[in-house]
Amino acid sequence: MNKGLIGCLGIGAIILFVVLVGGCAVAGSYNRLVGLQQKVDQSWAQVQNVYQRRADLIPNLVNTVQGAANFEKSTLTEVTNARASVGRVQIDPNHAPVDAAKLQEFQQAQGQLSSALSRLLVVSERYPELRATQNFQNLQAQLEGTENRISVERGNFNSAVQEFNTAVRTFPTNLFAGMFGFQPRPFFEAQAGAEKPPTVNFNFGSPAPAATAAPTP
Amino acid sequence: MTLKLTQLDPSVRAGFAVLLRMTKKRTRLCLGILALFASAIVAHAAETVPPKPDRYFNDYAGVVSSGAAQRFNEQLAQFERENSNQIVVAVWRKMPSQSSIEDFTQRTFQAWQVGQKGRNNGVVFFVFVDDHRMRIQPGYGLEGALPDITCNEIIRDAVAPRFRANDFEGGLAAGIDLIFKAIRGEYKGSGKTVRESGSTQSNPAGLLIFFFVLVIILLAIRASRRLGGYRYTGGGGPFVSGNWGSGGGWSSGGGGFSGFSGGGGSSGGGGASGSW
Repeated sequence: MNKGLIGCLGIGAIILFVVLVGGCAVAGSYNRLVGLQQKVDQSWAQVQNVYQRRADLIPNLVNTVQGAANFEKSTLTEVTNARASVGRVQIDPNHAPVDAAKLQEFQQAQGQLSSALSRLLVVSERYPELRATQNFQNLQAQLEGTENRISVERGNFNSAVQEFNTAVRTFPTNLFAGMFGFQPRPFFEAQAGAEKPPTVNFNFGSPAPAATAAPTP
Repeated sequence: MTLKLTQLDPSVRAGFAVLLRMTKKRTRLCLGILALFASAIVAHAAETVPPKPDRYFNDYAGVVSSGAAQRFNEQLAQFERENSNQIVVAVWRKMPSQSSIEDFTQRTFQAWQVGQKGRNNGVVFFVFVDDHRMRIQPGYGLEGALPDITCNEIIRDAVAPRFRANDFEGGLAAGIDLIFKAIRGEYKGSGKTVRESGSTQSNPAGLLIFFFVLVIILLAIRASRRLGGYRYTGGGGPFVSGNWGSGGGWSSGGGGFSGFSGGGGSSGGGGASGSW
């Protein structure tokens, strides 16, 4: 009888121990997932931040370029339109998108703006007096810096998402990640057509093809 | 496996077949793992980042006299003492990477951890002499004081003309001076550089784990003694290899120069590039 009691107590202690250790492990992984998710959201905020920075530059850029004598109208309207469509794709800046299609839409709108801007810079090569102005040079420096920031923050975001997704999908976290509502997040993919080398035109005499050769995503 | 299976006894043949199937599976797995490792290595190799410099002014190209290099280095170290802003200058012959200058400088900046942790107040001035390219890249914390326009102006108006005239010393001096002017007063210094304050972050977690494991072992020994069941014998016991932190801090001024240690800052890719 005494022995049985001790046995029961022993088994009880073991069960308690297992539950405690298991609970600690789950809590630890849960906390880790929360931390990783925070990191994803934080880097998403940064991504939004730098894209916003670019969008904010555009009115100034358009004004500066408009001032140049007979600057090509179509390029300008393209930039303005792309800027407007970027504004229409609204994603919560504080929470990274869970829906891949939403991110895709965002990326497409931003990609359109990117190509419109690069076309504008290409076209501006034809206006040396515009390029010589202090204002334009400053804007160009800002634009370049912003594009670089965008690629840096996109990279940071992707690596944060990758870390989070790995944690969500690997054993043993995957057993309960879904239970707590942790889902793998979509990340930025390379721009469609980025795997193809750009077409290079060597006819410097007529810069017109450069404007039409730029890929339309 | 070049053995001809037909020459063997049927039972052996069957055994071989099973073995072969198993090894096939295993080799596929092994190959998969190997491929993974290989891709990791390739990915790693593609992103070569130059090792952390041990001083502020690093002329790997040899375009500046050693006296001037020493002077620049002291200036930059003194600037960190006063303002806590870390400025590193790195001059190479060619860019030691195949990728774009912005990508390379970003990765290098992150690896070198220029700037104080939390403030991110570092600046790296990269020059690639043979490529005729340069870049000034500030950390997050100095994007306000050293915006892209300012970086661009420093490069275009002050540095590039001097570099064009092959006056590297003058160009670098002008660049450093203008960066000083732009970011002076943005932060307050502690009077010491990161290396001088010797705060190489030792990892307290490693020590904690070590003690924790030690306590458990001691408890286990005691418990096993009391129970008298199986005695804990010394041989074959768990070998605890603690890995706590990376040694102590260096003392500064070993070789007569002020050494540089990154403070843990990071950059978001701001700044400007230019050519001459």
